[in-house]
Amino acid sequence: MGTGDWSGAPGAGTDVTAVGLASRGSVASGAVGRSSVLTPQRWGVTLLGLGLLALAIALVCLRFGAEPIGFSEMLRVLGLVVRDGEAGAESAGATGVILVQVRLPRILLALLVGGCLATVGVGLQALLRNPLADPYVLGISSGAALGAALAILLGIGTSVASLSALPLCAFLGGLGSILVVYRIASSYGHLPIHTLLLAGVILNAIFSALIMFVTSMMDPNRSFGMMSWLMGTLTAPDYPVLAVLTLYLILGAWVLFRQARSLNLLTLGEEAARALGVEVETVKRTVFFASALLTGAVVSVSGMIGFVGMVIPHAVRLVLGPDHRLLLPASALVGGAFLAAADTIARTLLAPAEMPVGVVTALAGGPVFIYLLAARKGRLSLS
Amino acid sequence: MKKRRQQGILTGMPFMANLAPRTFVDDLGRKIFLAKPPARVVSLAPSVTESLFAIGLDQEIVGVTEYCDYPPQARTRPKVGYARPNIEAIVALQPDLVLAPREFMRADVLGKLEQLKIPVYIIEARTIEDVPSNILTLGRMFERAPAANQVAARIRERIASVKQKTAALPRLRLLYVLNSQPLITVGPGSFIHHLIELAGGTNVAARAAVPYPRLNMEEVLKEDPQVIVFPVGSAEGISEADRQLWQRWSMLSAVRQGRLHTIPSDLLNRPGPRIVDGLDRLVRIVHPEAFEGGNSP
Repeated sequence: MGTGDWSGAPGAGTDVTAVGLASRGSVASGAVGRSSVLTPQRWGVTLLGLGLLALAIALVCLRFGAEPIGFSEMLRVLGLVVRDGEAGAESAGATGVILVQVRLPRILLALLVGGCLATVGVGLQALLRNPLADPYVLGISSGAALGAALAILLGIGTSVASLSALPLCAFLGGLGSILVVYRIASSYGHLPIHTLLLAGVILNAIFSALIMFVTSMMDPNRSFGMMSWLMGTLTAPDYPVLAVLTLYLILGAWVLFRQARSLNLLTLGEEAARALGVEVETVKRTVFFASALLTGAVVSVSGMIGFVGMVIPHAVRLVLGPDHRLLLPASALVGGAFLAAADTIARTLLAPAEMPVGVVTALAGGPVFIYLLAARKGRLSLS
Repeated sequence: MKKRRQQGILTGMPFMANLAPRTFVDDLGRKIFLAKPPARVVSLAPSVTESLFAIGLDQEIVGVTEYCDYPPQARTRPKVGYARPNIEAIVALQPDLVLAPREFMRADVLGKLEQLKIPVYIIEARTIEDVPSNILTLGRMFERAPAANQVAARIRERIASVKQKTAALPRLRLLYVLNSQPLITVGPGSFIHHLIELAGGTNVAARAAVPYPRLNMEEVLKEDPQVIVFPVGSAEGISEADRQLWQRWSMLSAVRQGRLHTIPSDLLNRPGPRIVDGLDRLVRIVHPEAFEGGNSP
């Protein structure tokens, strides 16, 4: 999904400034964005490599679960599936069903959800020029969750699984909260990191309180399930559900990827971007809208999963540099692989019981977050 | 899990039961002295409310929770909240005693009531056998022993008859679905797990280490439940979304044989006198063949 323009003036300009940013930023951690000249070759090779890595991680995740299945057995079943489709899975008996109906859809869901969250994180971080931005921290996830909770309370979506009105309500909730963040963020021009975080914390608090209220209005039996879902949950979805979610992801990701060059320029500041011919307001609206769409879709199937959207873009930026043409797709791949791995831990650690995957991502991501804050004395940069 | 009720300090002699000591030890091990039977009691659990009504304490019950809907006259009493009991509402009712369940009793509420010199007795049922013994305790507390003995004896009879009925029958693997997405069920240590085993079922989540585990779908497929039970509100059925969700797993015996059943959750969640009705329903779900005659046990 290239953006076509590899050597135009804005692109070259970006590269220069990106180096400037990089040299100013991450001295403490010693990681400077590597070769920041993005050639089609480098773009292709990097993404191919990451794609293969994600595939390898997904295969390893497929091997592990509550039911022990060996690698050779797994490959044999997969071979049958590739050869005969559904009949192949059925001929493999219980193992086939577990692999193809339970484990595989769940891993695919993790890849999608993790990819969505990381992509949204990249977009928001660029837009707010703030490396701590992510849908969870900014209260967008809780806004979406509130929308979903209201839908469940009012009986619009009878079950958390139904992909009917729920994503729409979650989307509206996410959009509402993103607009609030946007208002707060834009009233200062460039927003100090603490103000933005504070705004996110406060929004989160407000939405959490409302979610609590909605939950307390429910029958205890239902509220128990609701709470559990809110902690961040991946279940084995139906393939149609996966297909719908994939559509959302492709749509949202495509909109974001198309903004890659504008995002590159936006990291210089709005004025500079405007001077270089970026339609700043349009870009902002587009990115916010796509972020709300993706977050809403993700939250409606998996509740609130934190830290993926914040930590993954960071890690990828440290390694690959700040060019969004590469950063966006690479973060999607790494985010998906990370969540698939986290969910595998959530599925297997207490087998046959499970733990919420949100707990695993927070435990893995929280310390990283603290480390980043400490290492850079609170002066995080986007490079 | 046998419970030991302390008989007071002076006596443990059965023939002195008519001089029953007025000190009671609750399920947190707290000692409560009641000089005379309480005339005003607040119940903080539907199961307790039902037990009190069952031994004829209509007059004494002055406050209940918003979930106390049985028997019908329970609805007429002032409500004091459930998960978050309202202390002011409780105090305003001037109770001689508050009867509270263990699971929802928050330490701060308990502490506040103690500070206000309102005696609180914590009551808990871990297994179905605790239900009649709790009723007997209430009978002693309120000096309603004859009524309590009758109710408790009837419950014990019905439990025994269920045990007898299911003893010779094969055990069926059963999955109890508290919530479908994520899948939450009951594990060992929960009251309902014990009921499932009693009704001639084997809980497929028996390997889980917690009372209300999120269960891995792989485990469900491996254990292959023959019966799936959905606890629902008094008037609902299985929701359409849940129905679709479970039909997907066509390889499960329960789905293949169409053995997805609902059960009113109130009958199983409340360790009160109606628990035997819940048990009955469960036995009829697991072993319909034992009721060909249609006569209830």
